[in-house]
Amino acid sequence: MHFLAISNDTLFIYYLLSNVIYLGLLIVAIVKNVRHRHRLGSQRLELVKASPFTPPITLIVPAHNEDGSIVGSVGALLGLEYPRLEVIVVNDGSNDATMEKLRQAYQLQTARILYIADIATAPLHAIYRSPLDPRLFVIDKEAAGCKADAINAGINAATSPYICVVDADSILERESLIRIMAGVFADPGRVMAVGGIVRVLNGSRVVNNQIEEVRLPKSPIEVMQVIEYLRAFLVGREAWAGFNMLPIISGAFGVFQRDLVLQVGGFRTHAVGEDLDLVIRMHRRLREENRSYRIDFIPDPTCWTEVPTDFKSLARQRARWHKGLIDALWPNRDMLFRVRYGRVGWLVLPYMWIFEFFAPIIEVVGYTTIILALISGVLSKSFFLQFLLFGYAFATLISIGSVLLEEMTFRRYSDWREVARLLIFCLFEHFPYRQLTMIWRLQGIWQYLRGDLQWGSMKRVGISTDPVA
Amino acid sequence: MGSAFRAIERLGAAGLVLEAILVSLLGIFLLVGFIVLRRWYRARYFHKRNQRTVALRSQWDDILSGKISAIDWRFNPLDCDIVESILLDSIEMSSAHELPPLLDCLRVSGLLDMRIYEARRSRGLKQRTALLALGRTRAMEAIPALAAGLDSHLRETRIAAVRGLGRTARMEAAIPILDRMVTGQFDAPERSLKNALVNCCRSDPAVLLNYIEQTHGPVRELLARVLGELASPELGEELLVLASDVLPEVRASAARALGNTNVSYTLPALHSLATDPEWFVRLRAVVALGQIENIGKINILLRSLCDANRHVRQRAAWALARMEPQLDQILEYVVATKDDYALQAFISELERSGAIEKIVSGFAGSGHHSAATALMEVVAEARKRVELTGKAVAATAGAR
Repeated sequence: MHFLAISNDTLFIYYLLSNVIYLGLLIVAIVKNVRHRHRLGSQRLELVKASPFTPPITLIVPAHNEDGSIVGSVGALLGLEYPRLEVIVVNDGSNDATMEKLRQAYQLQTARILYIADIATAPLHAIYRSPLDPRLFVIDKEAAGCKADAINAGINAATSPYICVVDADSILERESLIRIMAGVFADPGRVMAVGGIVRVLNGSRVVNNQIEEVRLPKSPIEVMQVIEYLRAFLVGREAWAGFNMLPIISGAFGVFQRDLVLQVGGFRTHAVGEDLDLVIRMHRRLREENRSYRIDFIPDPTCWTEVPTDFKSLARQRARWHKGLIDALWPNRDMLFRVRYGRVGWLVLPYMWIFEFFAPIIEVVGYTTIILALISGVLSKSFFLQFLLFGYAFATLISIGSVLLEEMTFRRYSDWREVARLLIFCLFEHFPYRQLTMIWRLQGIWQYLRGDLQWGSMKRVGISTDPVA
Repeated sequence: MGSAFRAIERLGAAGLVLEAILVSLLGIFLLVGFIVLRRWYRARYFHKRNQRTVALRSQWDDILSGKISAIDWRFNPLDCDIVESILLDSIEMSSAHELPPLLDCLRVSGLLDMRIYEARRSRGLKQRTALLALGRTRAMEAIPALAAGLDSHLRETRIAAVRGLGRTARMEAAIPILDRMVTGQFDAPERSLKNALVNCCRSDPAVLLNYIEQTHGPVRELLARVLGELASPELGEELLVLASDVLPEVRASAARALGNTNVSYTLPALHSLATDPEWFVRLRAVVALGQIENIGKINILLRSLCDANRHVRQRAAWALARMEPQLDQILEYVVATKDDYALQAFISELERSGAIEKIVSGFAGSGHHSAATALMEVVAEARKRVELTGKAVAATAGAR
């Protein structure tokens, strides 16, 4: 009985704290977003494009078995509005026709250029250049079984001071590079990396690898992910970046100072969550060197990505994300509560341990003990129901808050019916979707403990080029 | 100590939690209500704005000429906002002879005075918006108000003032920025300052020289960098003074500036900078050499091709590989250096530019068989090495 009471107390405090923190993050994010919108008003992108001081940037596109989309994706990337651009596609040992399609579409020719492997990678077969567009290089390499290795090969070959890693199956908006680099231009000496927002592509209409019309997906599982992405990016990342504690820049879209990435040894090969791992190691390095720096998030440069459409793929993805989380947190556990790592060691890493990594464990234990307490009479039924309702309403409030943030700022979903759907789905996010993700994340922990660090495949439906009915 | 649940129950039974539920539900309703109301208001506003834009556009010539008095639109906030937007957009796109009527309209209507007043008296977002709008007007009388913005204690306001001054693209607008930079106390992002100065000093970059002489450290470097972008032959031998500056960044900028000139002293000055102790100065000199058309640069670039620094070597190779008619001869010179790194860098650049095949076929068809064959062997060997370098380094690295 005593155990049940303690467990219930812990769960109560944990749940309240987690929601209060998120409410705090929401308020910070709203303030930061509004400020950012005002700042954007004074920036003219065409002036940035025309400026001789705009630094070159290298886009690195790791591609593994992407023959369905690679040619269109590369074409779209070459069409991005940025004055000094280099695109390096790294074919990571694809066993489909990725390389062949690239060779045909861009008339690739072998380029015997000097390649110095500052970061260790799997051996290269060849480097190609395109006579059709001198900005395009393709590295053909042996598969190392991980995306990080392909990115590292791209970093080695990059000639720009800034690199931007983009997934081959994602779509960047035309001005997204200039917009994300605006974060760097704000203070080039201090800004080491900037992340952009990743949004859900499913349901939207795409023409020539560019978003033509933003629409919500049809299936509930995808709409839930739209809300999750909005909350994670517009609230979580925006707010953490506001305190210079951003723990992750999405692997699908982020800009990094190349020299710093080289200094930290590049992306960690075989890391499950290589993006999270890199950013934590960057914080570590910069704090150890006592440097004044910023790792920022900008909410308007947008990358659209396809999310899982079936439960099986979603379960795999969430399990992998959780494996990636522990895989990045565990090697950096010595950063916890150490003065030299400042707020990263004292706030964001403990938050990630307690409210991200342990969340599914605490939740499952909590649900069990609450039910036991209910059965044994330790907890009154009426109070249980009231608390359940409160928890649900509070969490829903925060989900609606992230939709509000989207409405106040970028309004990508212009049709009011879409917004109404988003709001309705906010009501279902905390039951039963949240409980499902809890189970998937537990699976991730179990797989990690078993040593299963496989990525697993995601079933893709492909990009729709027709309007969604 | 009892359970927290019991404690709460004791405090007010279901009261506390019920209140929390009610507050949360109220929050949800307020948020949803706000979203709905905001959507409705915005739709209404944009519909109205659209209608007024069409109406004002249809009378645009009369508004501009003053046939329709400013009183008719100036005191309606929506109309005023629309007219100002159209005017500012037109000013930005206008040529010198199109500008006067647009500026006259701004002046006669009092819009310019209103913005000057806001820039001087308002604070926060309103002041910043006014500063940027003033910059877009490109009007001379806006410059003092913009300059006053540079003295704000708020960094955001100072940035807006710098951007505003930059947008005027007038030489006179650069002076307040430069005057403040000379003190060494002016705090604004380097990039905003550089862009503003480039815009303003384009017509007379020589003005920067006086300020460079008065400044030290990072400010001097920044001004030199701007000068490097704008330098023209008219700057004369002043650039030579900068080329021997004590600060490497200034020397690098001088090298960059020299790349935009091609006069008698350019080559000797770049020759000297290409042997500078700092690698990035040498790099800048080599890049500048790549820009100028002068056959005399070959010897300097050949020396840079054997530089200890990889970036300098690569850039020298890049410049040499683009000297199309002389490539055969350059290749012979490169082989004669007997520097493997130089040869690899050059062959690599020839491969990248696609010129290698032409040279190889040229040698194959040449009359001097023995010399050509020997050269071809060296080239073939070098090509193999370049090809293998990538694989070998990657393989070694992969095994690590």
